[in-house]
Amino acid sequence: MVVPSRLRTPNPHLGAYYGIVTAAFVSLIVVLAMFEQLGWGESLLAQTMMLVPLALFLLIAIGARTTQATDFFASGRRVPAVYNGFVLAAVAVGGVGFLAYIGTLYFLGFDALAIGLGWTFGIFAAGVLFVPYLRKAGSYTVPSFLGHRFRSRSLRMAASAMQLAPTALLLVAELKIAALIAAFFLPVSFSLGVLLIAALIAAFAILGGMRSLTWTGSAEFLVGAVGLAVVVTTIAILLSNAPAPQLTYGAMFPALQNAEITAGITPLNPGEIAAALPGTAPSPAAKPFLQSFGILGSFDFATLFLCLALGTAALPSLLVRSGVTSSLAEQRRSSAWALLFVAAFVITAPAMAVFAKLIIFRDLALAPSSALPGWLAELSANKLLQTGDANGDGTIGAAELFIGRDGVTLALPSAAGLPYVLTVLMGTAALAVALAAAAAHLFTLGASLAEDLYRVLDRHETLPRIVAAWAAIAATALAAVVFLVIADLDPLKTALLAFAFAGATFFPTLLLAIWWPRCTKWGALAALGAGFAMMLIEVLFGGALGLGLTGLTIPLASLIGAVVALGAGVGVSLYISAPSKMVDDYREVMRDPGGDTIYDRAQMRAAATAAATAAAAEAGP
Amino acid sequence: MATKVPVSDPARDRHQLQTLILAITILSMVLLAVFFAVMFAAWLNQFGFLHFPLGFYLLAQGLLIFIVAAGFWFIRVQERIDLARSESEGLG
Repeated sequence: MVVPSRLRTPNPHLGAYYGIVTAAFVSLIVVLAMFEQLGWGESLLAQTMMLVPLALFLLIAIGARTTQATDFFASGRRVPAVYNGFVLAAVAVGGVGFLAYIGTLYFLGFDALAIGLGWTFGIFAAGVLFVPYLRKAGSYTVPSFLGHRFRSRSLRMAASAMQLAPTALLLVAELKIAALIAAFFLPVSFSLGVLLIAALIAAFAILGGMRSLTWTGSAEFLVGAVGLAVVVTTIAILLSNAPAPQLTYGAMFPALQNAEITAGITPLNPGEIAAALPGTAPSPAAKPFLQSFGILGSFDFATLFLCLALGTAALPSLLVRSGVTSSLAEQRRSSAWALLFVAAFVITAPAMAVFAKLIIFRDLALAPSSALPGWLAELSANKLLQTGDANGDGTIGAAELFIGRDGVTLALPSAAGLPYVLTVLMGTAALAVALAAAAAHLFTLGASLAEDLYRVLDRHETLPRIVAAWAAIAATALAAVVFLVIADLDPLKTALLAFAFAGATFFPTLLLAIWWPRCTKWGALAALGAGFAMMLIEVLFGGALGLGLTGLTIPLASLIGAVVALGAGVGVSLYISAPSKMVDDYREVMRDPGGDTIYDRAQMRAAATAAATAAAAEAGP
Repeated sequence: MATKVPVSDPARDRHQLQTLILAITILSMVLLAVFFAVMFAAWLNQFGFLHFPLGFYLLAQGLLIFIVAAGFWFIRVQERIDLARSESEGLG
C-alpha cells in the first residue's frame, strides 16, 4: 500500500510551457494569415486552424495521463491558482457564453446584461460561500462532500442523482455548440461532429481525469482568450482607431442609434415579443440596443440575474474543481482569478454585440437592395445570415435581416471586412472554450456516477476505482451523443435550465450544509428534494406557478425552488433531532482554515493502518 | 472523525463570527449595488460616463469591476482573519 504524499509542489516550468502554447497559437494565426494572402483556400485554412489546436490539446491530455486517484480526481492538489482560474473561467463561460451570450446581447442589448452579471456574481458568491470549505473537506465530488459532511450514503446517492440534471443539460448544450462549430468549419456533418467531439472530450477525461482536464483546459482557455482578443481588438482598431474595445464602444452609441432608427428598429415594451430570449432560428433584431427593459422587465432582469448567480455559485462542474490547488488560501485566490477572467469576458461581450450591430445596420442603411455590401453575400452563402427586400421598398430593413443567435459572433469578422482566417480564429476560440466546458461537465457527471453511485452500491468494488470512472465517463459520453443525434435543443435555454436546477437544488443545500451548524442529513435531503421537485414541476407544467410575467418563467421557478428548499431544509432539520457529535465535529474541522485536507488525512490514516496490518501479518505470530 | 474538537474555543468562535460577518457584508454590499443599478438604470441613463449612459455602464462594466475588486478585497480580509485565528491558536 502506498501512503499518499503530502507534498504539493507545482511544476515550476508551467509558465514556460503555456507561454510556448500561446506563442505557438499566435504563430499559427500569423502563418495562416500569410497563407491566406498567398491563396490558400478557405477549407484548408479552417481545417489547419482547428485541427492543429485540437491535436495539441490531445497531446497535452496524453502527457497528463494518470491512474493515481488523487491525480485523476483532484489533479494531485497542486494546480497553481491562476491555472485553476483559467479552467474555472472557461467552464463558467463555455461555448454557450461565447456564442449564445454575445448573440443574445445582439438581440436584447441592455436586457441581456443580466446573464453576464449573474455569471460573474455567481463565481464571486461561490468563492465566498462554498469554495474554501469544499477545499478543506477535499472530497472529490460535491455529492461525496455532502455524504462525508453528514456521514450519509443515501444523501450522497441522492445528490449524485440530482446532479445529473444540471451537469447533463450543460454537457449536451456545450457539446451541441462544439459540434455546430465543427460542422460549420470542417467537412463533417452535425451528427459526425457530435460523435467526434464527444470522443475527444471522453479521451481527455479518461486519459487523466481532472489532471488532463486541468492542463488541456488551461490551453483551451488561452486559445479562447487569444482568439477573442485578436478579433475584437482588430475590429476596435478599425472602428475607433484604439485597441481598447471595452472603453471605446460607448462612443459608437449615437451612430448605432441612428443606424437602428434608419433600419426601422423602434422601442418595445415587455410582453410585445412572445419569446423573451432569442431562439436558434434566424430572426430579425427588433429591440434598440440601449433601450432598458424593453423585452425583459426590471423584475425579469433581476430574476434572471439571481437565477444565474445562484446556479453558477452552486454549479457542481465548477465546485468539483475546489480541491485541486495546494491549499485553502490558494483555492480562494483561484476563485478570484476566475472572477477576473469571467468579468473580462463579460465586459468585452457587449462590445462585440455593438460592433456587430453597428457594422451590419450601418452598411445596410446606406445601401440599396440592388447593391448590397459584399460581406452580406458571403455571410448568406455561409448560412449565417438571410436577407431579402421582402417589402420591395428598395432597401433592407431590420425586419428583413434574419441572423442566427449563435452565428452573430462568427459573422462579425466577415462583416467587418477582416480576412477569413479571423472568422476561423473566432470559431476555433469558441470551440476551444466549448471543449473545456463540455469535458468538465462530462467528467463531473462520470466521476460522480462512479464515485457516488457505483462505489456506494457495489461494496465489493468489482471494478477498480479508476476503471469505474472510465466506464461511467464513456457511458455518459455515449448517452450524450445518442441524445443529441435524436433531440433538437436550444443551447442557451438548455444551459439556463441547468443553472436553474443547480440554483434550486445545490445552492440551498450547500448553504445550509456549510453555514448552518444545526443542519442535519434529513434537512439536507429535504432541501435537495424540495428544490428539485419545484424545478421538475416547472419543467413538466411550466409557468412558474402562474407567477411568470413575460414567458421567461424558469428563473423565477428556480428562485421559488431555492426559497422552498431553504425552508424545507431548515424546517426538517429543526423537526428532527440535532446532528450527532461526529457530524458536528466534521463541520468544525471543515470551518477551520488551518490543518490538512480532511479527506486526505482520512486516506493517509487508512493507508497507514493498512500498512501496519500488512507489516504485522508479515512478521507472523 | 478522529479529530477531537473542543466544545468551547474563543479563537474559533471569534474566527467564525468574523467570517460570517465578512461574508454577509460583502455579499449584501454587492447585491445592494446590483439592485440599486437595476432599479434606477433608466433614470441613471440620463447621465453619461465615458460616453456610456450611466445605467448601462454600471450593469455592463462598473458593477463587474466592483465585484472583481470586492473579490480580491475579500481574500485579503479573510486571510487576515484566518491568520489571527492560527496565531491565537499557536499562542494557546
